[in-house]
Amino acid sequence: MKYLVSAILLSLAPLAVRAGDAELSGNLEGQFRNATNNDEAKKSPLFQDWDNENFFLIYGNVNAKVDLGDSRFEANWFGRHGKSPLYEPEPFSAQGTPRDPYLATSVFTFPQRLVARDIFQLQHVDQRGDQRTESVLNKIYYEWEYAEHRMMVGRMYVNYGLGEIFNPLNPFNQPTGLTAISQVAQGNDGFSLTYFVDDFHTIQFLVLGDKRIEGYDGSINRTLWMHGEYQVTEKFQLDYVLGEDQNRRKAGGQMSYQFEDALVFTQVLYQSASVEDEPSHDLLDALLGYDQQITGIWHVRFEGGYQKTNRFATATNFDRFLPTEYFGALANVLEVHPLLKLSGTLIHDVKSGFSYAVAKATFSATKSTELEAFGFSPISRGDEADNLAQKLVTQDLGVALRAFF
Amino acid sequence: MRKFLLRKDIVFCVALGAKVNSPDAWLDYQEKQMRGDRSRSEMVMTIKTPNWSRTLEILSDVEGKKQALSTIQSPAKDKGIRTLRIDNNMWNYFPKLKRKVAVSSSMLLASWMGSDFTNDDILKASSMAEDYSHKFAKDISGFKVIVNTAKSNSKVMWPRIVTYASKRDCLPRRYSYYDKDGKLRRTLTFSEIKVFNGHKVPTHWVMVPQDDKTKTTVIDYRSIDFAVSFKPNHFSQKNLTGN
Repeated sequence: MKYLVSAILLSLAPLAVRAGDAELSGNLEGQFRNATNNDEAKKSPLFQDWDNENFFLIYGNVNAKVDLGDSRFEANWFGRHGKSPLYEPEPFSAQGTPRDPYLATSVFTFPQRLVARDIFQLQHVDQRGDQRTESVLNKIYYEWEYAEHRMMVGRMYVNYGLGEIFNPLNPFNQPTGLTAISQVAQGNDGFSLTYFVDDFHTIQFLVLGDKRIEGYDGSINRTLWMHGEYQVTEKFQLDYVLGEDQNRRKAGGQMSYQFEDALVFTQVLYQSASVEDEPSHDLLDALLGYDQQITGIWHVRFEGGYQKTNRFATATNFDRFLPTEYFGALANVLEVHPLLKLSGTLIHDVKSGFSYAVAKATFSATKSTELEAFGFSPISRGDEADNLAQKLVTQDLGVALRAFF
Repeated sequence: MRKFLLRKDIVFCVALGAKVNSPDAWLDYQEKQMRGDRSRSEMVMTIKTPNWSRTLEILSDVEGKKQALSTIQSPAKDKGIRTLRIDNNMWNYFPKLKRKVAVSSSMLLASWMGSDFTNDDILKASSMAEDYSHKFAKDISGFKVIVNTAKSNSKVMWPRIVTYASKRDCLPRRYSYYDKDGKLRRTLTFSEIKVFNGHKVPTHWVMVPQDDKTKTTVIDYRSIDFAVSFKPNHFSQKNLTGN
């Protein structure tokens, strides 16, 4: 099935190239980071018994687009290669149990899943020794327009919602505001119909599928989703979502209001207990955000949120980055020079006491290259022992060189 | 043809100066010349300091005073990024990630892509003729000087702008922007007037911030099409998010 779909989609490409405007673009980035482990992570039950290691990463996108007027074909290949001793720990722990690669690598490469709703796979992962290579077509779709409608079929990005650190309204693309990865989005397999009702109201219907829950040989787990954007007044916008996804019924919304000097927004997402016969309970996510351009060069954003803890989830599930139950995050961006941007984010988990800081300096080296220095560090470890993911957070210093074409 | 148009404008300009002693008429004429009813322009923006420079190529579509859509053509890093303005709402769209972001109205005063121009300048969000009240100041040799003061109900970022227009063709040669304390903050100069579809437009714009005069941002218009026609939904969410 997956080969059939990709063959059909790829066969459209040469036809499209003959008929329309073709464009190739992309980026390539190399990263080096030195990571120091969290002492808490070395203990039971995590057993991440390493101290200080280097991590090399190279990743990139190649995006091909063919515009045919009222329709277009687009595909994106994402490749990533990581090299670190963390991929190749000693085969057995001190307790004599076999070990998987250390979990920190999942944090360094977040989002590890490049396809959020995956039917066709179209990806290859090869892990040998201290290296891991991933290759994935995370976007490959055909899109066409008819009157006030836009249809897409294939693997597509679904990107909406104002949250940059936490964006619960959109389960199809995780925010990367706290990571060092900047040029990535997650693909989703299925069909999309967008209805542009008028200049103020847009509704998107999604029919997606995922085979990762039950394995690629199992049945397709369905997603039926509706996302609407309604500009109620010049200053007030309402987003709403309703549907079934990952065996849960979900409903929620986002309200945003443009004040004279700032944007204020809030999100709520309710998730029912599993519709399948499995142990679960309902979930609730909420977000409050504030965004202001203080001066011509200084931008501030605050996001505060709540995630009801899923008691049945795996402790080290990296579907979301840095899960925190009650959190507040403050992000500052200072454009100190047209070529130099400084950013700093501080996130604090009110309940556990865990705090984490992210700092970046991004320098536009040439017209098509950027150099970035970054640092990630826990500031306070927190007292609560139940949020194991917070114990995994390492102290990192790194540099990245990225090029665009 | 070009010579004829220039001569016609000189005649108009003389008539304007002699018979219509109104700054509103001068500014209205300038906006009609430089903005038109709609336009598509290709421009090159160069941000310069003594040590480096950076160039952006931009396609800018404008209709009336409330609709604008700009698309970055180069460099590769930013190619395809679009900004749409409808009335007082503004959105950025990043096509590589298919991400649309509503832009806070406070962002209008933010620097556009690191230049000395703001979002407000690029999206032509403010109208000198509509958002300001005007009065003549004392002429400077060859130039008509108009003091533009923001109307109390207008949402503009510069409380006062002084414009210097050539008496020869009525077109501006300099804008001086003052902050609320009356301090000169930046100067925009215009030169190299060319004719596009009968509209006379200065095609070389230089913005100099007063706090750092070693830095400038230059806009050079490569072409302006005032006869362009846009599809009915050109300035729409659908077109913004289409590739």
